[in-house]
Amino acid sequence: MIGFARQNRLFSFAVVFVALQVLLAVFAPALGLQDPYAQIMVQRLKGPSPVNWLGTDQLGRDILSRIIYGYRTSLLTCVTAVILSLLAGGTLGMLAAYYRGWFDRIVMRLMDVLFAFPILLLAIAVIAVLGPSIWGAAIAIAIVYTPIFSRLLRGPALVICESEYVTGAKAIGAGDMRIIFLHLLPNLASVVLVQTSLLLSAAILVEASLSFLGLGAQPPTPSLGLMLSEGRNFLLLAPWPAIFAGFAILFLSFGFNLLGDALRDTLDPRLRKES
Amino acid sequence: MSQRFLLSRFIDLLVVLFGVSIIVFLMIRLIPGDAVAIMLGANTEITPDRIAELKSRIGLDQPILIQYGRWIWGAVQGDLGTSIWTGRPVMQEIGANIWPTIELTLLSVLVGAGLSIPLGAFMAEARGKGAEVFVRIGAIAGLTIPSFWLGIVSIFMVAKFLPGVQALGYVPFSEDPLGNLQRMILPVIALSLPMLANLSRLVRSAMLDALSQDYIRTAKAKGANRRRIIYKHALRNALIPFITSVGVSAGYLLGGAIVIEQVFAIPGLGRLVLGAIAERNYPLVQATILVMTTAFVLVNFLVDMLYAVIDPRVSR
Amino acid sequence: MSLKKLSAALLATSILVSTASAATLNIAIDSSPAGLDPHLITAFNSVVIVQDNIYEGLTAIDKDQAVVPGLAESWEISDDGLTYTFKLRSGVTFHDGSAMDAEDVAASIRRVQSEAVASPLASRVSPIVDIKIIDPTTVALVLDAPFAPILSSLAGIAIVPAEMEKDVDALQQTPDGTGPFKFAEWQPNGFISLDKNDAYYREGEPKLDEVVFNFVPEAATRQVGITSGEYDLLPGIDPATALQLQGQAGVTVQQTRDLSYTLLGMNVSRPPFDKVEVREAVNMLLNRQEIIDGALFGSGVPAGPLSPALTEWALDPSTFSCYTTNVDGAKALLKEAGVETPIKLTMNVLPRQDTRDIAQVIQQELAAGGIEVELINQEIGQFVQDWRNSNFDMFVSANGGSPDPDGYFYRTFIGGGSTNVFKYDDAEVDSWLNEGRVETDQAARKAIYDKLQTKLACDGPVAHIAYGTLNTAVSDKVKGFEIYANGRLTSLVNVTVDE
Repeated sequence: MIGFARQNRLFSFAVVFVALQVLLAVFAPALGLQDPYAQIMVQRLKGPSPVNWLGTDQLGRDILSRIIYGYRTSLLTCVTAVILSLLAGGTLGMLAAYYRGWFDRIVMRLMDVLFAFPILLLAIAVIAVLGPSIWGAAIAIAIVYTPIFSRLLRGPALVICESEYVTGAKAIGAGDMRIIFLHLLPNLASVVLVQTSLLLSAAILVEASLSFLGLGAQPPTPSLGLMLSEGRNFLLLAPWPAIFAGFAILFLSFGFNLLGDALRDTLDPRLRKES
Repeated sequence: MSQRFLLSRFIDLLVVLFGVSIIVFLMIRLIPGDAVAIMLGANTEITPDRIAELKSRIGLDQPILIQYGRWIWGAVQGDLGTSIWTGRPVMQEIGANIWPTIELTLLSVLVGAGLSIPLGAFMAEARGKGAEVFVRIGAIAGLTIPSFWLGIVSIFMVAKFLPGVQALGYVPFSEDPLGNLQRMILPVIALSLPMLANLSRLVRSAMLDALSQDYIRTAKAKGANRRRIIYKHALRNALIPFITSVGVSAGYLLGGAIVIEQVFAIPGLGRLVLGAIAERNYPLVQATILVMTTAFVLVNFLVDMLYAVIDPRVSR
Repeated sequence: MSLKKLSAALLATSILVSTASAATLNIAIDSSPAGLDPHLITAFNSVVIVQDNIYEGLTAIDKDQAVVPGLAESWEISDDGLTYTFKLRSGVTFHDGSAMDAEDVAASIRRVQSEAVASPLASRVSPIVDIKIIDPTTVALVLDAPFAPILSSLAGIAIVPAEMEKDVDALQQTPDGTGPFKFAEWQPNGFISLDKNDAYYREGEPKLDEVVFNFVPEAATRQVGITSGEYDLLPGIDPATALQLQGQAGVTVQQTRDLSYTLLGMNVSRPPFDKVEVREAVNMLLNRQEIIDGALFGSGVPAGPLSPALTEWALDPSTFSCYTTNVDGAKALLKEAGVETPIKLTMNVLPRQDTRDIAQVIQQELAAGGIEVELINQEIGQFVQDWRNSNFDMFVSANGGSPDPDGYFYRTFIGGGSTNVFKYDDAEVDSWLNEGRVETDQAARKAIYDKLQTKLACDGPVAHIAYGTLNTAVSDKVKGFEIYANGRLTSLVNVTVDE
């Protein structure tokens, strides 16, 4: 029981840690921060000070406010991407499990094909087509994650489809949609919740990598990956932008991963029983 | 392992590769800004005639189906075309860049997978104790630390505190074994850390799983050596997910070390493909991505085969 | 033999031994070149490897931008200015061992002019209408009209073996020139190495045995690499890296005024830039010093149309009326032109750190005058395509320079010129440009280019931003390196490396 209490503490910590960052991002305009776009040339590449708590970047912009606005950019991109991939991948996976047969085969082979590409490489190629922007990055990440969600949901969906109450529902003539919405979806919720949180964590890193390569958010948009990418050129002159942006990416990604991890333990009855 | 199982997996493999080839081929042609425009660069006296001539020289004037047909026919025969820019066979360019990537991948897998077993066991033993939280947080941090950030910061750290260490670029192992390994240390740390974090968590949960099994409790009750039992049973249980995870990681590393290769100036496949996309070197991009994905698919295929050997039920 | 003599002899052999051990210069540049054919390449990464190291022209450009003999040891110009007769150096061989003679010179020029090769250098030799081979070491070039920049243009026309005239592919991968270094190996993504040309015609040169160009994409990595001794030379580094390397032990940053410049281009075929008042207003909204301080780390000077490195030609930018920042004046001009502010426009940005930062500062400066700019940060392929097709309102980019003002202006500003992507067409400018080409009297030529500079500075389609500082980081192990304003590594022949 000690373990369970600790489990709960960890879960609470993860929720608070993520919520804090998300709230900062959502309410950024109301926080009375400095304008993240305002350039003050004489103030550039200054270290932390009472005016600029985390210092300034190469164009004299406030790093703290650029990081908090960077959270907005990052979350906007990644949440969009994960929702899109969940919708696309989840729908395909469940339909494949439900209908089986040739539809299943075609969909899953297509997912195999997408899955065969290294994640970053596929994202880079998609962005090369769409053009570098946060929306390009969001769509690229969504495409990359679609096969993950489809595979993830097809498995459990198969099991549920063959379970007695679904075959029973079919037998009494319930419609396809009704079965999918009433029986399939609720039973998959916990898997989806855990995976969404974990994939958000990974998406934040992918988005940062893409921005780092100049393929995501574009200047002057405040973006964590971009800050790191620009800041790395001035590391010896002023380590602040790159160091703080790196920590910001780490915290954001870490928070969602911890949340997913704690969620999995809490939702997985086997592990709970064991301790 | 039944022949039918082998055959059906092999057909799946071919289907996936065929799909990959189509996607690669189409995607690069959808990229705005064509090769000819970039070849001609910013300073040019070019007339539409010249552009047409250049296009036909590199075969871009043909209908897309014919271009694809030619490419795939050549690829089947082992000829992936010539690089638009250097005029050398694409296979030769890939051959020159593949070894650093393979070495980086193997070393990272070795370090990541090797260390994950003792670390995972340690994490399992720490369960319920005060250290558990720290161990888990450490593992998650290892998984979520941006590897390119770690790379850049570590380059500066090494330059500052260990000025004698050669940390950048690549020299072949055959030329200078010590220099080769020295240069591999930082990139391997950056690449194996997430894998280590991932695999050790996997080992941990397998260990915990094993601990809760009835037969282990029985064995324990009989007074058998606890550690030996846990290792034996847990590792056997964890083998399949462990191998899958290693396989997937290795496959990704073969093409996924792009940013790390960029940061550490390692002449590998990732940098090759990044440069090739930027200069719209169609044959090189197509071939490199095809090689990377083939490697990934093949590794997965081998992992599947391995399952079948370990657990004959799979192949039925 | 006395002991003293013996020890002297021993010392001598030990010196010989130490020079005999291969002296290698490791250079780091950011990416692999796109090709090595000297008549096709335009990118800095290709040019820096090939020009003056592997290939040479009839003439050469020295450190002070003056024309000096190259493969031609002397030349005569006919009184009408139409015939240039070059006397070639004797005993020069290509790296493949064959002798270089007048036939090769003629073939090389024809190769650049040929349609099949489609060389971007063609306009530099377009006035040459006839090539006469007088004897194996004498060649005469006949022009259709006097063309003052021909001697400096010829410095950039590499002489290649005559059998390459029809071959468009071979030289891209395996160069064959007369220069002090010969091509040895190309590892795409890894490095290009050049070996010493033992048969080089200048006695005792080059002093190095090997030059290796390493391709290192990250500026931070190059920077650490030169301090740790992995690389000896970083040519053309960005201002931030230069600033960080200054004062580091074991590294010197050599600086000179760059010939190339950053610019804000305006599309004259699209409103509102069809109005000269708007182009002038844009100039007046810019604060060039602020841009230089912000984006270039203070290393650069406000740019007029010609680089101050061309000391004989360039006017002082402070003499241009529109170069004083004047927001009210700019607003008045916009009003005069009938432009409703705020007006929304787009600006394409060359994907480089300095141009991206410049664009962000310009965005803020133009906003003060009611010009709201959306930055479009493009990938290089897309940028070039839009640039070529004049598909932009504005763009921020960098342009290469030339030792002669004609090289700066002609193609860029003449109506229908090959790099006049702005669609600028001004009868007065056209006639001056054509006069400047044929005028051979220096003072009269200068007067023409003075008029051009003054007009182009404020009315032209380009707001010249800054001539940066060209920075090259040199390890203290390297002796004899001299930086050239055109960025070329011409001085490598004299370089030695201490082990």
